[in-house]
Order: sequence, then C-alpha cells, then structure tokens
Amino acid sequence: MSEVWFVIAGYGVIVGGLAAYTLALGRRLSRARQASLRIRGEVESATTADVGE
Amino acid sequence: MKTRILGFAALLAVAAATVNGLFIVPADLNQGDAQRIMYPHVASAWLAYLSFGVTAMAGIGYLVRRDLRLDAIALAGAEVGVMFTAFAIWGGMMWGRPVWGVFWQWEDPRLTTTALLLALYAGYLLFRRLTDDPHRRAARAAVVGLIAAIDIPIVHFSVIWWRGLHQGPTIGDPSKILNPSAPPLFVLALMGMLAAFTLVWGYLMIRRYQLARTEWQIEEHGRLGRISAARRSFITESITEEAAP
Repeated sequence: MSEVWFVIAGYGVIVGGLAAYTLALGRRLSRARQASLRIRGEVESATTADVGE
Repeated sequence: MKTRILGFAALLAVAAATVNGLFIVPADLNQGDAQRIMYPHVASAWLAYLSFGVTAMAGIGYLVRRDLRLDAIALAGAEVGVMFTAFAIWGGMMWGRPVWGVFWQWEDPRLTTTALLLALYAGYLLFRRLTDDPHRRAARAAVVGLIAAIDIPIVHFSVIWWRGLHQGPTIGDPSKILNPSAPPLFVLALMGMLAAFTLVWGYLMIRRYQLARTEWQIEEHGRLGRISAARRSFITESITEEAAP
C-alpha cells in the first residue's frame, strides 16, 4: 500500500472527524435548546396551575 | 454571532492548512509524503494536552468556588480532548505504518501513555453519568479529572524519560524552540495547522460549554416539573380524602 493512502486516511479521518463532530455538536445543541424551551414552558404552566390551586 | 464568525474563520483556516499540508509543502526527503500526516497529528496532540489541562484547571476552580459553569468548562475540555487524543493516535498510526513499519507498539512509552490518557478521559466522561445530582457529579468529576491529569506530563516527557520508537521533541523542547530540528517550511506548516486547529478547538469548546449549560437547565426544569407534579398529586389526594365520607 502506497504511503499516499496513509496520508489520505490520516487527513480524511482527522479533518472529516472534526467536521462530523462539529455538525453533531451543532445538532445536539439545537435539540437541547428546543427541549429546554419546551420543558421551561411546561414547568411554567404547571407552576401557574399550582398557584391557582 | 461572534461564535459563528469564529466557526467560519476556523473552517477557512483548516481548509487552508489542509491544502498547504497536502499540496504546497514539499515531501520530506527521508519520510516522503508520510511526513504530511505530522501536521494534523502534532496539532491534535497539543490540543489534547490543552483540553485536558483546561479540564483539570476548571475542576480545581469548581472545587474552590462550587460554580457549575466551571464544571461545564471541564466537561467541554474532556469531550473535545478525547476527540483530539483519538485523532492524534490515528494520525500517529497512519504515519507509523509507512515510516516505522508498524501501526502500533505497546512497548513504546509515548504510545502506551497516550492510549492510557484516552482511556482515562473516556472513563471521566462515563463516570459523569453515574449520578444525576449536578454538584455531586461536578465534585467527583473534578477529582477524577485531576487524577487523570497526572498522565499529561508523563505523556509529554515519556520520550525524554524512556527509550522507545517515538522520536524526541522537534520543537517542543525549550532548547529547540529557536532552533528546531526540522526545516522552517515544515515548522511553518505545523504552526499553520496548529493555529487552524486551535480556532476549531475554541469554537468547539464554546459550543460544548453551551450544550452543557443547556443540558443542565433541562435537568433543572425536569426536577422542578417533577416537584410540581408531586405537589399537584399530593393536593389531589388530600382533596379526595377530605371529600370521602
């Protein structure tokens, strides 16, 4: 196997891995922010109901 | 907005450093094209050290100040550091096969201590999942992070303390900073890659910190929601008991 293939494999995994992790992190953050907003809304409405009772 | 600009700058810098490392810098006389792997390999290794150093410092900060934001920084450092350590190991293996003739050698102190570093911080991330209480988790993780950090200087100085396959420092040694044992063009390419990866590191650290803070808020809201639900259930039961004849 030519050393060029090792270079391609080296850069491919490292640079590709960085890109994949960055995208995955962005998606995780976006999902977490949506969930946080939804849960905050639910908690606020539940707390309001508690006060009403 | 500033984080997005940083992300965009990091993307451009990595693209430029990759093109430079792959196509512009000449191949090494002895190692041939395999030398090109050194740029992302060394940059990844240095950023792994930096990440775990941040985890250790943030852990100490948490133990002193009991501020969960410091725990979020420690978590960000550990996760990003694990990724960069894995990249450093992978790059080293891809370079080692054509130059040394082997992907890996367990007898080499640098390789083995680096593998141990990866295992220690992967363990740190798993350890954090053992408890839901944020302060208990942060305190325990800080201690584990500090114990794991003992391996960082061992990895770095392993090539000086013991003999193995891995070569000694090219520019990391204080005596070689002004007189590195590599041509200036190679050192410049390495510095370029290190600068580009550092921008990515900064961007990822900010994003991971934001994610940790958001996850903590979700946990907090979940706890409040459970308390609220339990309270409502208690009130409903009390009313039912009072209404019963």
